[in-house]
Amino acid sequence: MRPMQGALFCPVPYTGAVQRQGWPVPVTEYEAELAQDSMAWALEQATTADELGFDWVSVAEHHYAPMSLTPNPMVMAGALSQRVKRAKIALLGSNIPIQNPVRVAEEFAMLDTLTGGRIVAGMLRGTSNEYVTYGVNPAESRERFVEALQLIVRAWTEPEPFGWIGRYYEYRTVSIWPRPVQQPYPPIFMSISSPEMAELAARYRINAGFAVTSVPLAKGSADLYREAARRAGWEVGPDQILYRVPVHLADTDDQAFDDLAEAAARRRSGAYSTSNQAVDEAAARAGYYGRDVEHQRGRLHLGGDLRDRLDDGRLLAGSPKLVVEQIRSIHDQLGAGIIEVIPASPTRDQARRTLALLGEHVLPAIRPW
Amino acid sequence: MVTAPVGAGFTERHLEADGFAIRYLDGGDGPALCCFHGAGGLQLSRSHELLAASHRVVAFELPGFGRSPVNDRTDTLRQLGRTMARAIEAIGLHTTSLWGTSFGGKLALWCALDHPQLVDALVLAAPAAIRDGRPLPDGPALVRALYAHPDRVPTEPPLSSQVLDQQRALTARLIGPARDAQLEAAMAGLATPTLVLFGTEDTITPPELGRHYRRLLPNAQLVLLYDAAHALDRDRPEAFAGTVAEFLARRDQFVVRQDSGLRYP
Repeated sequence: MRPMQGALFCPVPYTGAVQRQGWPVPVTEYEAELAQDSMAWALEQATTADELGFDWVSVAEHHYAPMSLTPNPMVMAGALSQRVKRAKIALLGSNIPIQNPVRVAEEFAMLDTLTGGRIVAGMLRGTSNEYVTYGVNPAESRERFVEALQLIVRAWTEPEPFGWIGRYYEYRTVSIWPRPVQQPYPPIFMSISSPEMAELAARYRINAGFAVTSVPLAKGSADLYREAARRAGWEVGPDQILYRVPVHLADTDDQAFDDLAEAAARRRSGAYSTSNQAVDEAAARAGYYGRDVEHQRGRLHLGGDLRDRLDDGRLLAGSPKLVVEQIRSIHDQLGAGIIEVIPASPTRDQARRTLALLGEHVLPAIRPW
Repeated sequence: MVTAPVGAGFTERHLEADGFAIRYLDGGDGPALCCFHGAGGLQLSRSHELLAASHRVVAFELPGFGRSPVNDRTDTLRQLGRTMARAIEAIGLHTTSLWGTSFGGKLALWCALDHPQLVDALVLAAPAAIRDGRPLPDGPALVRALYAHPDRVPTEPPLSSQVLDQQRALTARLIGPARDAQLEAAMAGLATPTLVLFGTEDTITPPELGRHYRRLLPNAQLVLLYDAAHALDRDRPEAFAGTVAEFLARRDQFVVRQDSGLRYP
C-alpha cells in the first residue's frame, strides 16, 4: 500500500479587510499591494510545504470574491512550478464546464511539462455561483462536465489531429502541444459529493475528492463510490480518495483551541458558494445540485461550534498528537489516503508554526499508514 | 402530430448493373450523395433525411442484401466496388460524393480508389477497412454496440433470420482481413477529400482506429462524434448530418468555422 499523503491547499485569500458581503464582491476596498502580498504569502507557504515534505500543494478556481485570488489556477500553478521542486502540484480544480476544454487540456499539459510530470489534474463543476461568471447555464453543468472530461482526455491521448463533434463543444481540429509528461495522462480527481458524480467517477475510474463537507456526509458518498466502482469492476484504493479540511496546530491542544476561539469571535461568517441566495436558488432550481439537492445544499450550511467541527471532521486542530488522531479517524472512516489541509491559523506566525508542526510531527506519523 | 416514418420523401427505384438487379432509395435534390450501407443492410436513418435537404441522396441496397437474391457471384469487396460504380453510372451520375458506413465504408474506399473521376468526396462513417480483430457481438450486445442511445434503435420490423444469415455470410466472405496491406498501400495515393467519422462510444470499430485513416490518407479529416456508438448516423443524426453536409460543401476548408458567434448586432 502507498503511504498516506499530505497536501497543502493554497486558496490564496485576499489578506486585506473586506466589509462588503455577497457575491460578486465589489472591489471598493481593494488594494493592489495587499493582493500582491496575498500572493507572495501563498507562494511562501507552498515553498515551505515543499521543503517540509508535503506530498502535494494545491490550488483551485474561484471567481469574483476575495476568498481566493486564483480565478485561473493554471497561472498560479505556473508560478508554483518554479518554486515547488519536489511536491506534486494539484489543481483542484479547473472548473471544466465553464472553461474551454481544449484550453484546459493544453494548460494541464504545459504544467505537466514544466514540472516534469508532477501535475494532478482536478476537474470540478465549481460552485453554483461560478456559472454566472462566464454565463453558462447551470442546468447543463453535469452534461458539460462529462463531455469536457472526455474531450480533455482525448486531447491528451490522441496522436493524430481530430475534430470533436460534441453536444456542447465542437472543435473541427485538435492537436495539442505540448503533451502531458505523465502517461497516458496525469491523475484526475473530481468531486463526488453528489450521487450522480460518485457514479460517474466510478464509471470512468476517476479519483475522488471531498471538500466543504463533514466526514459523516462524505462517508455516504465514499461508500456509494466504492460500491459503484466494484460494480464497474475495480477497487478504490486510498490513493484515490482525498479529503480537504481546515487545520490549525499549536504545541498544545489548549493553545490551538484558544487561538481558534479567539479568532472565531472576530471572524466573519458566510459561505462563498451560497453568498448570493438568488443565484444559488436559481442554480438549485436548474438542477445543479442533482437528485439529493437537500443534502448537497445542507452541507454548505453546517453550523456548530468548534467542538462540533472537530467531532465530525470539519476541522483539524490541536497538538500534533491530537491532529494525528483526527486524521486517523478520517482515514479509517473514509478510506482516504490523501489529507489536504487548508491553513486556518489566525495569524501568519501561527500558520508558519502549523506548517512546521505538520511537517515535523504529523506527516512522518501518518505516512506509514 | 403524426411523425412521418424514416424514408418519407424517398422513392424506391431499381436499376441493373453487372447483371444484378439493384434496389435504391432516392430522395432530395442537389449534388449527388451515394450511400453504401453497413453489414446490417439498407435502412434509412434520420441522417439520410437531413442530408436530403441539401443533396440528392441515393441509398443503395448492395447485391445480396435485404430483399435482393443471394449473391454468390461477387468474390471480393473491390469487385463489388466496381459493380457499384456501374450502378452509380446507371443512374446517370458522372460524379458523386460517396458515404459508406462500416462494411460499406471499406467498400466506398475501394470504389473511390478505383474510380477517382466518379467520386469527388468520400465520407467514411465508422469504416471497417482497418479493424483490430475483435469479434462482432451478437444479440443484445450488438444493439448496445450499435447504439449509445437505445431510444434511437429503429422500431421497424427486423429482417427475417434467413436474410440476416445471408447478409452475415456475404459480409464475412467479402470483408477481407482486419489489416489489408494492398488497400492500405493504395490509400496513400488517394487524393479524394475524405471525412472519417467515429463515435466515441463505438465498441465495434473503436474511435482509436480513426488515427490510421488520418495517417494513411493524404487528404482526410478525422472527426469524433461524441456520445455516438457504431450506428453513428442514427445515434446522433443532427450532428452527423450537419458535419457531413458542411464537409461536402467546403471539403478541407471545413475546419474554418463560418457560423457567426455574434449574439446581438
